[in-house]
Amino acid sequence: MTPFGTFAEIFIQALVAGILIGAIYGLMCAGLGIIFGVMRVINFAQGEFLMLGMYFTFYLVIGYDLLWFLGPAVGPYVGALIAGPVLFVFGYFLHRFVISRVTGTSVAGTESEGHYPQLILTLGIALVLQNGGLILFGSTPESVRTPLSSRAWELPLLYNANAALFLNKARVVAALVSIVVAGALYLLINRSRLGKTLRAAADNAAAATYMGIDVDRAYRIAFGIGIGITAIAGGLVATYNPFQPYIGLDFVIIMYAGVVLGGMGSILGAFWGGMTIGLVQQLSTLVLPTQLQNAAIFVVFLLIVMVRPQGLFGRATERI
Amino acid sequence: MLTVERLTVAYGGLTALAEVSLAVRAGQFVSIVGPNGAGKTTLFKAISGTVRPSAGRILFEDADLLSVAPAQRAHFGIAHVPEGRQVFASMTVLENLEMGAYPQAGRQEWARNLERIFALFPILAERRGQAAGTLSGGEQQMLAIGRGIASSPRLLMLDEPSMGLAPVVADVIFERVEELHRDGLTILLVEQRVAEAVQSCDFGYVLETGRVVLEGTHDALLADDRIRSVYLGM
Amino acid sequence: MRSRRNLYISLIMISAIAAVWIGLSLVVTNSYYQLMLTLVPIWAVLGLSWNLLSGYTGLVSFGHAAFFGLGAYTVTIALVQYDITPWLGIPLGMVVGTVAGVVIGYPTFRLRGHYFALSMLAYPMALLYVFVWLGYQEVALPMKRAAPGYYMQFSDYRVYIALAVALLVVSLLISLAIERSRFGLSLLAIKQNEPAAEAAGIDTLAWKMRAIMLSGALAAAAGGLYAVVQLVVTPDSVFGMLTSAQALIVALFGGVGTLWGPLIGSAILIPLSETLQANLGDKIPGIQGVVYGIAIILVILLAPDGIFWRVRDFLRRPRAAGLGPVNPIAPPLAASAPEPAPPQRQAILTVSNLSKSFGGLRAVADASFTVGDGEILGIIGPNGAGKTTLFNLLNGFLPPDGGNVSFTGHELIGLKPNRICRLGIGRTFQVVRAFARLSVLDNVVVGAYARTARDAEAVAAATAALAQVGLVGRAGALAGSLTNKELRLMELARALAGQPRLLLMDEPLAGLASHEIEDMLEVIRALAAQGTTVVIIEHTMRAMVRLAERFIVLDHGAILATGHPGDIVKNESVIEAYLGKKWAAIRAHG
Repeated sequence: MTPFGTFAEIFIQALVAGILIGAIYGLMCAGLGIIFGVMRVINFAQGEFLMLGMYFTFYLVIGYDLLWFLGPAVGPYVGALIAGPVLFVFGYFLHRFVISRVTGTSVAGTESEGHYPQLILTLGIALVLQNGGLILFGSTPESVRTPLSSRAWELPLLYNANAALFLNKARVVAALVSIVVAGALYLLINRSRLGKTLRAAADNAAAATYMGIDVDRAYRIAFGIGIGITAIAGGLVATYNPFQPYIGLDFVIIMYAGVVLGGMGSILGAFWGGMTIGLVQQLSTLVLPTQLQNAAIFVVFLLIVMVRPQGLFGRATERI
Repeated sequence: MLTVERLTVAYGGLTALAEVSLAVRAGQFVSIVGPNGAGKTTLFKAISGTVRPSAGRILFEDADLLSVAPAQRAHFGIAHVPEGRQVFASMTVLENLEMGAYPQAGRQEWARNLERIFALFPILAERRGQAAGTLSGGEQQMLAIGRGIASSPRLLMLDEPSMGLAPVVADVIFERVEELHRDGLTILLVEQRVAEAVQSCDFGYVLETGRVVLEGTHDALLADDRIRSVYLGM
Repeated sequence: MRSRRNLYISLIMISAIAAVWIGLSLVVTNSYYQLMLTLVPIWAVLGLSWNLLSGYTGLVSFGHAAFFGLGAYTVTIALVQYDITPWLGIPLGMVVGTVAGVVIGYPTFRLRGHYFALSMLAYPMALLYVFVWLGYQEVALPMKRAAPGYYMQFSDYRVYIALAVALLVVSLLISLAIERSRFGLSLLAIKQNEPAAEAAGIDTLAWKMRAIMLSGALAAAAGGLYAVVQLVVTPDSVFGMLTSAQALIVALFGGVGTLWGPLIGSAILIPLSETLQANLGDKIPGIQGVVYGIAIILVILLAPDGIFWRVRDFLRRPRAAGLGPVNPIAPPLAASAPEPAPPQRQAILTVSNLSKSFGGLRAVADASFTVGDGEILGIIGPNGAGKTTLFNLLNGFLPPDGGNVSFTGHELIGLKPNRICRLGIGRTFQVVRAFARLSVLDNVVVGAYARTARDAEAVAAATAALAQVGLVGRAGALAGSLTNKELRLMELARALAGQPRLLLMDEPLAGLASHEIEDMLEVIRALAAQGTTVVIIEHTMRAMVRLAERFIVLDHGAILATGHPGDIVKNESVIEAYLGKKWAAIRAHG
């Protein structure tokens, strides 16, 4: 095969890998998008909820084997989906008792909108969850393997009989599930009455109260949904990536980069932002050594924030 | 319908309202005017529940409003069209109206109310899919009023609807509000601009630095020159 | 600024701490506790460096590990690859830290709040990956048996403790010097209200850059010493999240914005977590992190500014409320009858065709007017008329779409607010944000920094300004104990401390009771009598009629009328603006 052919094969492989991983990044960014992009709450512990989703799925499917009846191929994905509602409840009550003290109506109107206490408080929560996780789960990396994890589809690339594209089955299924969940989220937020109520509460809390909306409850629900979605994404990542309690940190910048890139206030934008970050990460391996692929994401994040803070899809009214 | 008795609102050493009393009867159009800083918006905020009064009572059809949570008051039939419109900028015109119909009464009469809103403000029908933040000031005001109507209110409260609007546009808004009143809606209007407010009202109150300094029927107020001195200071 | 007494107390405390520490080091023999005695000061220094930037300015940095790690690696690489002793390596690291401060600060300071914090997080994480990639997974400092002292290697652990204490003392002294000087107060002013600080003449970007440079240097020094003590450096131990968090937590827990905070924080948290780690670390790994996490959560919910302030507020409270001598407000100076206005005043401010639109809304429409030297001019107009926007244009907070502003011959358009302040324009704002925990004098003195580089002169100017407004009797009181009116006067004094030629006052009378308004008017009248030109924004003429000679009426951004109160009141377009077009029509027809 010609050098160009080889390069094309590698390039397409990276591109596809980027899309597959981008779908999952997109989902986790959509989760953060609700919290940060719409509610403007800084949650430093977002990566830790991703981690909790991973461990929940692990214990449900592997540890206690509660989904044995679904079989090893389907179980993990269903487990990931179940992590959603469970972590939703956790997020709801976390907001009610802890986070609400530094958000919403109690700080609305202050100069920084309470961002400073939010940063610190969620940092504390992150530390507790990370290290609590270390205590509870141990530091040995785990993973939720499925029979699909080590199998791949082979798609021949048309231009040369020897060139082929390898699609890891587990990743493909995870990406598809992500897209479906993201789609469901989109419908919930944009078409359902609950979704509109949440958007209204986040858009203008005072006006929403005049409409008769219980804004505090809306915030709790929105926060819970954001956490739940991120947990599902975590469960999906668990099917192909080994994890340990500190893994959240690796993803925090990815999530924020995706949300900012996609434009604040738009969940769809956050999804596309996550997708873009996934592509950047995988394509950067073409030119950078693998250890630096995350550094590339940081550079992208810094560039976006400084050059185009409203992101690709956001309104230009977003001020830094 | 609405009775405010000796309402006092004070915070941080500042008295925004001092022993204000007023009444709105069913079917009436009541206007509250006064220069800036007179306490008009504070009054509305007390009725809506955003601000807690330090003394006094607010009764809505014999129910003690102060014991009702702010988010619940809309369900009683009080629609508040806030100062500065406060539309949900990131949502479409139709979605804004849907949010207005959040209370039970609004949801039940949704179809009928929507028809009425579009008849009153045809431009909203035209722009129903547009994001509310991209509307002009006048259109946003119409949307805010439409949102208020969508809740099938018993009382419609309007806070300075003409603020920031060109006089021609403000005229149109006032015309529509008068039309609503003729159809039987009870209206409580707060305005900085006196003429329209006094002209349309059945009864009016003039506030200055937190107190009611003048009150009277439409005819009585029009004949009173003291309003000018209240505003200009001389 | 602060009394000499406070200075002596602080110096004595610092010496005491150093002495106690050295004393402890002489008696403790357990090597674990010796390590602790070394680490506590090092983390305290990191906390102090964090405080220098984030505690004073309010810009939360999650990335101080970047400077710490750079300092550690400079020392390490210098020793390992170039055989440079840490005695030189640490200062070298400080230089690297300073440069990193500039490189990081310049672009990142343009960001606000949460974006700043997130960006700062990215830097150490990126550095971590870079250093791993460069192959520095784990670098051990080589033993230099030939000349250990030269290479900062000592068999007697107590020398390390002494070095750590020395670094701590130096950092405390630096922090003390900054806290007591205009550096510290300028940073606090920026934290309190950045636009107001700019308008008072403080070059906010310059001060922030100085803060981050110094902060970077100190953090790097801590990192360098850390490397020397630990003898092994890994990217995670110096660039890791926990390091940045530790800097933050230690300062936050102990108290932000004060040099004692990080010290208290380290003294409590480090031994606590290290002991837990040592005793329970095997059975409950990660206990350290959980302790830190819970500590932060409790602190931010219960004592958001840290233990130091909570305790101090508690101790100070009874005194401020009860004893506060109720000094009668001294009558303003030289309140002689205002001189009859000279018939012709020279224009010192000329505004020509000034315009500003936001989207489709014309906030200021082709405004032109002049302000005469020494006059009192009132700008009135209904709500939303564009008055504050006009002031923001004059002050430099907003760039106009068109038009010119000329002040005593200088063209103002395009200048930064602090520059405009230095030219002689002062400004008061509607919302007063005071440093509640500092004295009135400290609050006012920041306004004088634009006028003089010498702190003593600044204090004198501030005192004079306080005398002008009649607050000199309250100079030592805590700003948090002031009444509404006194706060307004203090705000005015801050603007006056800069000795402005022209003073822009935005609704100075809002929210004042009628007798308080009288006092305020007296003060303003006295100012004008002394030659200051005053332009006041208010809603109506009611209060100002006795004060201003001339009025401009603004509506929808355009000037409707200019002239004396008597004429304005009869002007039809003014009446229309306030009462509505139909008013006259209705009254005419009845």
